[in-house]
Amino acid sequence: MQTFQRSVTVNGERFERTVEPRLLLSDFLRHELGLTGTHVGCEHGICGACSVLFDGQPARSCLMFAAQAHEHEIVTVEGLGTIENLHPVQQAFREAHGLQCGFCTPGILTTVTAFLERNPNPDENEIREAISGNLCRCTGYQHIVDAVKLAAKKLQAQE
Amino acid sequence: MKIEGEYTFDGPRETLWALVRDPDALAACVPGMQKVEKVSATEFTGEIVVRIGPLGGSFSGRVLISDEVPPVSCALTVEGLGKIGFAKGVGRIEMQEAPEGKTLMKYSGEAQIGGKVASVGQRLFDTVSKSMIKQGLDKLNDILKARAA
Amino acid sequence: MDRKYIGKRVVRNEDPRLLTGQAQFVDDVQFPGMLHAAFLRSEYAHARVLKVDVSKAREYPGVVAVFTAEDMGRDWFPGPPLVSPPPTVKDVIFHSRRQVPLVKDKVRHAGEAVAVVIAESRYIAEDAAEQIEVEYEPLEVVLDLEKALAADSPRVHDDLESNLAAQLFQKKGDYEAARKEAEVVIKRRIVIERGAAAAMENRGIVAQWDAKGRHLTVWDTTQAPIPIRNGLAARLGLSESQVRVIAPFIGGGFGPKIMMFYPEEMLIPWVAMKLNRPVKWIEDRRENFYATTQERGQVHDVEIALDRDGRILGIKDDFIHDTGAYDPYGLTIPINTQCHVMGGYDIKNFSSEFRVAFTNRIIATPVRGAGRPQGIFVIERMLDLAARELGMDAAEIRRRNLIQPHAFPYQHEIVDQAFAPLVLDSGNYPAVLDKALEMIGYEKFVKEEQPRLRKEGKYVGIAVAPFIETTGIGPYEGARVTVETSGRVNVATGIGTQGQGHFTSFAQVVAEQIGIKVSDVRVTTGDTSEFHWGTGTFASRGAVVAGNAVHAASSIVRGKILKLASKVLGAPEAELELEDGQVRIADIPQKSVSLGELAALANPLRGAVEPGTEPGLESTAYFGPQYGATAFGTHAMIVETDPETMMVKIRRYVVAEDCGTVLNPLILEGQIHGGVSMGLGNSYYEKLHYDENGQLLNASFADYLLVSSTEMPRIEVGHLETPSPLNELGTKGVGEAGAIPVPALFAQAVQNALHDRDFEILEMPLSPNGLFELLNKETE
Repeated sequence: MQTFQRSVTVNGERFERTVEPRLLLSDFLRHELGLTGTHVGCEHGICGACSVLFDGQPARSCLMFAAQAHEHEIVTVEGLGTIENLHPVQQAFREAHGLQCGFCTPGILTTVTAFLERNPNPDENEIREAISGNLCRCTGYQHIVDAVKLAAKKLQAQE
Repeated sequence: MKIEGEYTFDGPRETLWALVRDPDALAACVPGMQKVEKVSATEFTGEIVVRIGPLGGSFSGRVLISDEVPPVSCALTVEGLGKIGFAKGVGRIEMQEAPEGKTLMKYSGEAQIGGKVASVGQRLFDTVSKSMIKQGLDKLNDILKARAA
Repeated sequence: MDRKYIGKRVVRNEDPRLLTGQAQFVDDVQFPGMLHAAFLRSEYAHARVLKVDVSKAREYPGVVAVFTAEDMGRDWFPGPPLVSPPPTVKDVIFHSRRQVPLVKDKVRHAGEAVAVVIAESRYIAEDAAEQIEVEYEPLEVVLDLEKALAADSPRVHDDLESNLAAQLFQKKGDYEAARKEAEVVIKRRIVIERGAAAAMENRGIVAQWDAKGRHLTVWDTTQAPIPIRNGLAARLGLSESQVRVIAPFIGGGFGPKIMMFYPEEMLIPWVAMKLNRPVKWIEDRRENFYATTQERGQVHDVEIALDRDGRILGIKDDFIHDTGAYDPYGLTIPINTQCHVMGGYDIKNFSSEFRVAFTNRIIATPVRGAGRPQGIFVIERMLDLAARELGMDAAEIRRRNLIQPHAFPYQHEIVDQAFAPLVLDSGNYPAVLDKALEMIGYEKFVKEEQPRLRKEGKYVGIAVAPFIETTGIGPYEGARVTVETSGRVNVATGIGTQGQGHFTSFAQVVAEQIGIKVSDVRVTTGDTSEFHWGTGTFASRGAVVAGNAVHAASSIVRGKILKLASKVLGAPEAELELEDGQVRIADIPQKSVSLGELAALANPLRGAVEPGTEPGLESTAYFGPQYGATAFGTHAMIVETDPETMMVKIRRYVVAEDCGTVLNPLILEGQIHGGVSMGLGNSYYEKLHYDENGQLLNASFADYLLVSSTEMPRIEVGHLETPSPLNELGTKGVGEAGAIPVPALFAQAVQNALHDRDFEILEMPLSPNGLFELLNKETE
């Protein structure tokens, strides 16, 4: 099969890889780069678990090919914060119990991080709208909404 | 799933009757049809490439014609099998002579689908099949007009 | 009792890993040389398999092996029954037919696995699976539940005389006699259709066989790792100690992740041993729709008899339950339904017979609620019809029938899913109902707001639905609690965790006894190398059964700590207190010894261990309840319905819940919120559409609609605590509670909103289309 030489920046680190044209970006991140924090829930762009930041914008990595990421910048959940030093959005999700099984969480964290940059002081409806493309089967979304509100406060306090 | 409709052709019934038995004409008019082979006067086999929303793939299939009353009506049995599922159908076509040398075709049938085509494509199957029928009949009409001319 | 850790809103221990992408899920397990599996699944729901030709797939570049049922030889045999049939109930009929690893003779549901391809990558495995040619002889399908049981129906299992899988009759009192005295008798047919659990993580298995060490390790998205380990060992001819099953972080369970065994669970470990290579299979979403179990399909013929005051004199409910192609899960679901038809009401006369039908659908096993939502839907719908007939208020008719606080323990006089008498252990049901009514402002809404809004032309409705939830059944769970020399505590238990927060709530239980920070307690669940005994996470039993085992083990460890500390500090045990990882003399806090030091002293390197003592500050303890604890709750909501678009907007949603002692309100509320969201799906959005040939037509999230953040209302939760007398912590389960009354509540609210329309909701789930059709039928 034909392959492409591709270079992509993920979480600030540059990677050069040879990829098959049909390799999905989600599989590339998870299996080629070992960044298994990005989860795959539906493989057809509905659930949002695989969302990453693509040049700063939330994007479904299951709907993109790795080859399309050439010379682009990607941030995954691993690029937000660390266990010892959680990102304010991650910290807010912990405090507000914004996750249960945690499977959809990485996609929600990346989506929310970009959302709060665009809208630092959202109301409840705006938050619900912003996360409506991310399905969660555990939380009923309420604590996620609370977490986003708390995250907005934390980020504003930081500035 | 039910398929039903009618179409008015700009040409005489006999020519149309012959046309729907002509493998070359069928291959030309059915969207995505790769080839049609005439096995006997009442049996055709063929290969068709279909796209339904996110799904795409080729089906190999067979058409059996029965219950013929030339040039008025016949029954069709269609079977298709491909990597993305299967489709089966039974239907009837009826042709009536219409004013000004035209022909009115009425068609009705019942289709059954399975596999990916059903589980993922069902929502779109109806629309896709309608649009394919429309395209096919338009094309057939063009051929008919050319031949009748 | 004054508690320091239990009952507090403690943030979760497991979150930092989950939040940073550092938590391991099954699909994250990677090995060099790992092979990948893809299944060829039947496109027909019912067909004889005439020929399977895998030759092209075997030759496909990158394919290592292809297996069919034939290729398995003597290793091909059906899975074991997961829940054994009931031994104790009189005149029960039960025909056990278990799922097979790969189809041999005929396909019994669309999606049943016919062959498995093992290749160097998943991409290749899927390509090669498409090269397999199967010749089927399609058979007439069995779908409709009534027709399935008719004498002339085609049969799902040819060796049985009919599609009857099971039959069970249970009664209490004398319904026929009660009916004669009744002033109101209402009879209806209620149809309930299937939905999917749709955990965000699909199923998956990784198996690794160490040929030299003769040891098999399996990572499995299961809710019951220990039974899977035991079953795998038996299947594969290994000792249980040669098999380790790890259920790591699991992306939601909701019931279907406990099945013993899924075909893939039987096959992947077998293949790994056969090929001596690690093998991974991860289900994709479409497979999840027709290879993972579903639930809820039932048809009820129910009759309720009441007196003029709205008191229930008796209920008769005969129903058919759809078990799908096989019935490995026994009678759990229909028995749960039967047990919940009486709800939390004092009903003296009850008669119920269910029949279980085999159909050409995927196997039915419990999905969050497990038969309970159906039972509650049936009784609550009938009460709504009765209230209408009697011109009575919806809350009032319920209040008049609830079991009173002095009546506990209350005998329902039938057997439950554990095949033990259904006894409601404790509670204060009227108080919970009142709390819900007060929270939503029932009186004021009905008397003032609703009339005002209706005048403005708004179709607003209110509803209130109480429910019981039988939880925390046996047989048992165990836990081991160990104080380590670091001063931290390690806890191991046999159940699995799928997001319920066990790493934190169990740590709170330990902290309460041992006086240590919750974050210093490390909990392991779901790893059979850490704990040998157990059953699994189901029936809302984690916090009850495993929680009490953790409590029992920590209490013993506390005793050991005090005994040793008393010696070290030279003070009587009664004068000691445990706090912040230290044991102190209460009056002289500066005289203390740390738990770490005590742990080291308890496990000396030299000297003599006294006869009759054990080294270390450790204990293993078990808890098995006499019978299950029953939780109670009441949901209420206010909706606004648009009779043009059929959109239903939820304006308020309140939950009053009594699940006994609350371990962690934050986690508890999360469980309820999630349950309600699934319940709303079951009410209005999530229905699996099968066509007349048994093809599932909405097998994607584009077509099968999960509730998203914009449909979910904000939920207000109020707690009451009636501790269960059946366990020391006083806990009752809550995992499924949120989902149980929602469809009943939703139907009541929509009916109430469209008060001037003459229609009846007798189906679940409803849908905007379904509601439109109901309303149109009325105008015809």
